[in-house]
Amino acid sequence: MPKCIIDGREVEFTPGQNLIEVAKSAGIVIPGFCYHPGLSVVAQCRMCAVEIEKMPKLQTACSTAATEGMVVKTRSERVKDAQKSVMEFLLINHPLDCPICDKAGECDLQDRSFDYGSPYQRYAEERRTFEDVDMGPVIKKNMNRCIHCTRCIRFGDEIAGIREMVAIHRGNSTEITTLTGLPLETEYAGNYADICPTGSLTLKDFRFKKRVWFLKKVPTICEGCSRGCSLELHQSDNVIYRCVARENLEVNKYWICDEGRFNFHYVQAPERLTEPAARQGGSLQSAEWSVAVAKAKATIVDKKVTVLVGSDLTQEEALLLKELAPKHFPGAAMFHFGTPGITAGQHDAPADKILKRTSKTSNLHGLEQLGFEGLVTLPRGTEAVVVFRGGRATLPDLGGLATVGVGVFTAAEAEAFQAVLPGLTFTEKSGTIVNFEGREQQLKRVILPLGQAKPLAEILTMWANVGAAAVVARAGAKV
Amino acid sequence: MLVEPKTSLLQRLYVIEIAKGMMITMKNFFFGKKVTIQYPEQRRTYSDRYRGMHYIKVTDGVENCTACMLCPTVCPAECIHIEAGEREGKEKYPVTFEIDVLRCCFCGMCEEACPKDAIKLSTIYEMSQPVREVYDKEFLLEQRGNK
Ligand code: SF4
Ligand code: SF4
Ligand code: FES
Repeated sequence: MPKCIIDGREVEFTPGQNLIEVAKSAGIVIPGFCYHPGLSVVAQCRMCAVEIEKMPKLQTACSTAATEGMVVKTRSERVKDAQKSVMEFLLINHPLDCPICDKAGECDLQDRSFDYGSPYQRYAEERRTFEDVDMGPVIKKNMNRCIHCTRCIRFGDEIAGIREMVAIHRGNSTEITTLTGLPLETEYAGNYADICPTGSLTLKDFRFKKRVWFLKKVPTICEGCSRGCSLELHQSDNVIYRCVARENLEVNKYWICDEGRFNFHYVQAPERLTEPAARQGGSLQSAEWSVAVAKAKATIVDKKVTVLVGSDLTQEEALLLKELAPKHFPGAAMFHFGTPGITAGQHDAPADKILKRTSKTSNLHGLEQLGFEGLVTLPRGTEAVVVFRGGRATLPDLGGLATVGVGVFTAAEAEAFQAVLPGLTFTEKSGTIVNFEGREQQLKRVILPLGQAKPLAEILTMWANVGAAAVVARAGAKV
Repeated sequence: MLVEPKTSLLQRLYVIEIAKGMMITMKNFFFGKKVTIQYPEQRRTYSDRYRGMHYIKVTDGVENCTACMLCPTVCPAECIHIEAGEREGKEKYPVTFEIDVLRCCFCGMCEEACPKDAIKLSTIYEMSQPVREVYDKEFLLEQRGNK
């Protein structure tokens, strides 16, 4: 491997790598704003200037490829001076509104200004000001904070495949906007907030909800479709506040779609049933666990049962069901369900040119590996159905059959059910899911279970422990 | 090892020593300067820097606070709870602002951290309550100090 020298240290690199990346591999930080590893290089902000021996002027590290024997200085007096000047220049028009800016605490501009800038400001003229603009349902723009790094423009162009952000006017009057002033169209708009190095583009969904330094960050996997993008869920006091993309070069690079980003909301939605419930006097009512389990068992006893397993369950849960089903539901047929029209792994296809897949559940391919078959129609003669569901799989039409729901349902979905035994969503459990390429990935628990929701293993144990005969008698007496 | 002090017989009799001691006590009792006051009829004035009951400063009818959450961040007692929101004419403001004053240790860090000159500790020190008091925003907006 060729070597170059950065700050007196010999660093190996692969030909073609730029100096920011090479330095990073050696633990040396070269600050930059416009450079993003997932986007093209424009060398616009000039923050990454470094001194290279035998070159008369400072060079931008993001646009300079390392070469054999190159001697680079990142902290020389000349470089420090340049960094200070660039910082001052970028901050000329930037308002000092960190107290109200949602980016504060994770803002590149704030951090760099602290590390490389000057604590004094010489600029006394009036700053340019813009009105805040709503850019559709996802993003709010505050143009005053923008530093014209053009990351957002390049993201639209190169990743989202839609040139919707442009820079109009030039120089001091440059404004970043959509071409027509219309709202953003892309279904990946949340990434604009992730990549913007300032608080110019922020998520409306997260606006003023929490300061970022209060959040605990848990790396996990998205359950939005069969791609399984890497996510980070941010939690505080057992409440999830937001979801951002996590770098995973092999699956989703640096991006996630909006559907996945905002999917977590159902976890803490008031409509979600987190208490066990049993049908009493014609309507579903909250009940003790024992009563609900008894009701569930009474519903299926002596009936021809079909077990439906949502392809939004983890491998561990599916395997558990596969092993225990013959004991708990003797003679029952078992199918997976998830997305209407997608009953087998081969139906799952890319839904766009970026990340999304047509299977709207995460573990379709995992369940196929375990030998589950997809539900096409319920077997003839089915009298009762037990549905296991992680929260995202689309419920099939059950045609008014007596149904027991185990897992995550909203009150509306479970309206006609005989009993509901509340289970865990993808944020409340750990486990393995398999994406469309067969890659096994790990879900991590982000928050503690809400309400009385319990892990599937516990529910099944309870199911086994309540004696069937006693159950029928008790359920009969209570209902 | 305990050293026995050498004392004369007169000292060991105590009578004279007690009389001497009483002289000092009596002198202070009748002629000394009083250190206590008749509270609550009489009150002391404290320094302007005294850290007492909180308030939020208001300028031109608008609270200075922008709900930046620096005071709950710095508060060692974790007794400040703020919810932020947006309203016409003010991009970010505290919808609720609560101080669980029983937990407060009156360190004044909130005042120090505040970039907006909003939260203040006044010189009011009479805060005892028969119930556990949580100061809400309305209460805190009363201007009760000159800081
Ligand atoms: S809005 Fe953000 S990402 Fe876009 S140019 Fe401005 S600072 Fe860069
Ligand atoms: S005085 Fe100290 S303990 Fe009391 S609210 Fe302020 S920061 Fe918290
Ligand atoms: S990061 Fe190199 S010029 Fe902006």
